[in-house]
Amino acid sequence: MEYAGGAQEQREHRRKQRFATKSMHMTQKYLRRMRDLGGTMEQMEPFFNVLERIYVQGLEVERPRNVRTVGTYCVQVPQELIYAAGAQPVKLCSGHYTAFSIGDDVVARDACPLVKAIAGFEHMGTLPLYENCSLMVVPITCDCKKRIAGLLQEKWPVHPLYVPANREDENIEHYVGELYQLMRMVSCVTGQEVTYESLAHALNLTGRAQYELSRFLRIKRATSNLLFGTHAMAVMNAASYLDAGTWADALRALNDELERRAYANKLVSRKDLPRIMLTGSPIVFPNLKIPLLVEEAGGMVVADETCMGERGMSDPVVPVDASFDGLMRSLAIRSLRPCPCPTFADNSQRIYRLRQMVRDYRVEGVIYHVLRGCLVYDYEYRLVEEELEGMGIPVIRLESDYTDQDVEQLRIRSEAFVETIKLKKGPLKAVRG
Amino acid sequence: MNRKGLVTAIVCALMVLVAYFAWQLVFFEYETDTYTTTAELLFTIDHLTKLVPLLIIGLLTAVGIVACIVVRNAIMRHDGQHGPFSARIATAPKGCVHGRRPSAFMVVRWVCMVGFFVVTVFGGVLLGVRYSWISIPVLSCPANMSQLTEASCYYLAHLEELAGLPLMGIVAFVVSTLGFVIVFGRVLCGFVCPMGLAQDVMHKIRQATKVEGISMTERMYQALVPIRWVMLLLMIGLSFVGGNFCNFCPAIALTPVAAGLSVSLYASGFLMVFVLIASFFKRRFFCTICPLGYLMGLAHGVQPFRIRKDCTACTECGACYEACPMGIKQLYTEREKTDVTDVSCIMCGECVRCCPEDRALSLTFLGKDVFVSKRSRVVQGYRR
Repeated sequence: MEYAGGAQEQREHRRKQRFATKSMHMTQKYLRRMRDLGGTMEQMEPFFNVLERIYVQGLEVERPRNVRTVGTYCVQVPQELIYAAGAQPVKLCSGHYTAFSIGDDVVARDACPLVKAIAGFEHMGTLPLYENCSLMVVPITCDCKKRIAGLLQEKWPVHPLYVPANREDENIEHYVGELYQLMRMVSCVTGQEVTYESLAHALNLTGRAQYELSRFLRIKRATSNLLFGTHAMAVMNAASYLDAGTWADALRALNDELERRAYANKLVSRKDLPRIMLTGSPIVFPNLKIPLLVEEAGGMVVADETCMGERGMSDPVVPVDASFDGLMRSLAIRSLRPCPCPTFADNSQRIYRLRQMVRDYRVEGVIYHVLRGCLVYDYEYRLVEEELEGMGIPVIRLESDYTDQDVEQLRIRSEAFVETIKLKKGPLKAVRG
Repeated sequence: MNRKGLVTAIVCALMVLVAYFAWQLVFFEYETDTYTTTAELLFTIDHLTKLVPLLIIGLLTAVGIVACIVVRNAIMRHDGQHGPFSARIATAPKGCVHGRRPSAFMVVRWVCMVGFFVVTVFGGVLLGVRYSWISIPVLSCPANMSQLTEASCYYLAHLEELAGLPLMGIVAFVVSTLGFVIVFGRVLCGFVCPMGLAQDVMHKIRQATKVEGISMTERMYQALVPIRWVMLLLMIGLSFVGGNFCNFCPAIALTPVAAGLSVSLYASGFLMVFVLIASFFKRRFFCTICPLGYLMGLAHGVQPFRIRKDCTACTECGACYEACPMGIKQLYTEREKTDVTDVSCIMCGECVRCCPEDRALSLTFLGKDVFVSKRSRVVQGYRR
């Protein structure tokens, strides 16, 4: 009996090892493809390194001793509150193919791959990023997130965050109450009270990251082709696993370098590449296959409107009232009002945001990314397509899963899309290029 | 339901009740005082004694505010959500969020407000001239004869007396009032009105002490609309039925008292206390029910000062709505029009100051940008 149990354990152990090795290889492959794209800068290394640290070396998030980590999922969780309670937030939305293949057997067949990947990591229990979390905050933004909150509860303390379906004044009031509860929950976990001082400090901390991000986006808007979109997305993805201050420092160095390059007109590619914007379902590292395919095919991802990229981070917190409650309100308002997430019933503002981005980045084509099973984004495709067609911008819907099997099919479609835009821009140039 | 708001509303209602009883009292009446302010007397001890009513009003305001906070904390302590954090609201906490930098526009606004306060209190005495034929539609009480100009509110509240004026007087009144309304409109509320300054000072005090205020929802703003109409009706109509709006008007307890004028305050003094307490918790509370301001706002369609919006740049983040002391929601919900000037807009520029999107909101004069929203203004202060 004891022997049988031992064998079982050994099998389980071997399975976990196999999983860890496979997932390491998978991440390495995407990091390598990212570097092979060219145009990397020395200042990007801190961002790549942190992705490597988490997923390849399998280390925990770098942080001072005795600081706990709190896992968060969607963009509606104010990171400031977690910093204010003396913990370090990490974003746990996952894009990992190996974890997906495990999670595929754990959760419902039609669930989205993002949730399957989370379930995979939960099931295997090998990644310290997840294992060391003291609390998980799951905003209920879609059905899959609601179910994953239940699943995660088996292993971690979970705080579901009720996100209202509207953004009216009453909803904001309600969400402020939700945030007070969240604050108490995080305080319980860390044993550290949230004071005015700590909240103000946290706001200043994330504010600095916000400032550097605004700068980053401004530079990217002003001079095109300064860096590849894939790299920009990796930079923004790395914010999930870094302390806001460290990330801001690293981004500041990158911004300075980009400014130098803009001044010297040192670009990473030809200037006339088709300018493509990504939007739709979350694109989370290491699932960067779509931007990689586009840029390998000779396109340029100039902007992205996805949770882990510009949408999730570009809106600053604007504290209007100096009181403690005023700061909490500003966090609640920032989490709901500017967020063009399809969890809200009326999400027409996403259309305006896209229109603005098309104008700002001089976009020539839009790729609408849909993860298989991600219904909320699929619903919005029709509206986006109508709007963009009205503007004369070609748009293509790419459905993908967290697997390498659909890569060739996606490659053909994205290459064809890039070629179409090239032809539209000027057939002669395209032939010569 | 918003319990905090309810508590403060109850306390405010109590203050109104006190004000009603005060109607029976004669609050600080100098009987046969022949004191007149002169330039020499302004900075003497004698003049300071004339400011005693202001001190009493200030003291009562402080007592009222402390009472509101104490009652609110007592009730809130048992509130599951905010309860544990309510105690910390009472003491001014350390630390501050330094995102925004002061903008030139706001400096100009404050300089204007303070400057015009001096002018409306004893501008006439200081400069030695008085342009009584100019009527500015702001709440600088006309009972104060030492100010530089006349205020329109007296004849608006006593229309039958206006009819009794000589023709030139009527023409001067109508032309100057209408002129100011059409050229400036509610810019006067944001830049000139002494009542506005008093309320903004109360707001600044709250910001400095970091006391929690009342965040008004759209429903609460709508509930104030009938009050505004009643105020307007009282102001225009009361003189026809033998009443006198000036007996209620809180403005009489501000500039005339500051000028050392001997006036009977009646209920005004107590209402002023109420206005100050209300504007401490809710910025520019009186402006949302001000009848004179509403009349000026009616001309917002033709005014040269406008709030313009670039609807594509807007992300509907609602920072403008949160900052707006008048609760103008269309600032962020509007998606088609480029002009979002509203009847209650006082041109204070708060929306533009707080807007994080480049050029999404702008305050314009005759189509020229005066104050334009910028991302860098909102996040610049975080730079290290």
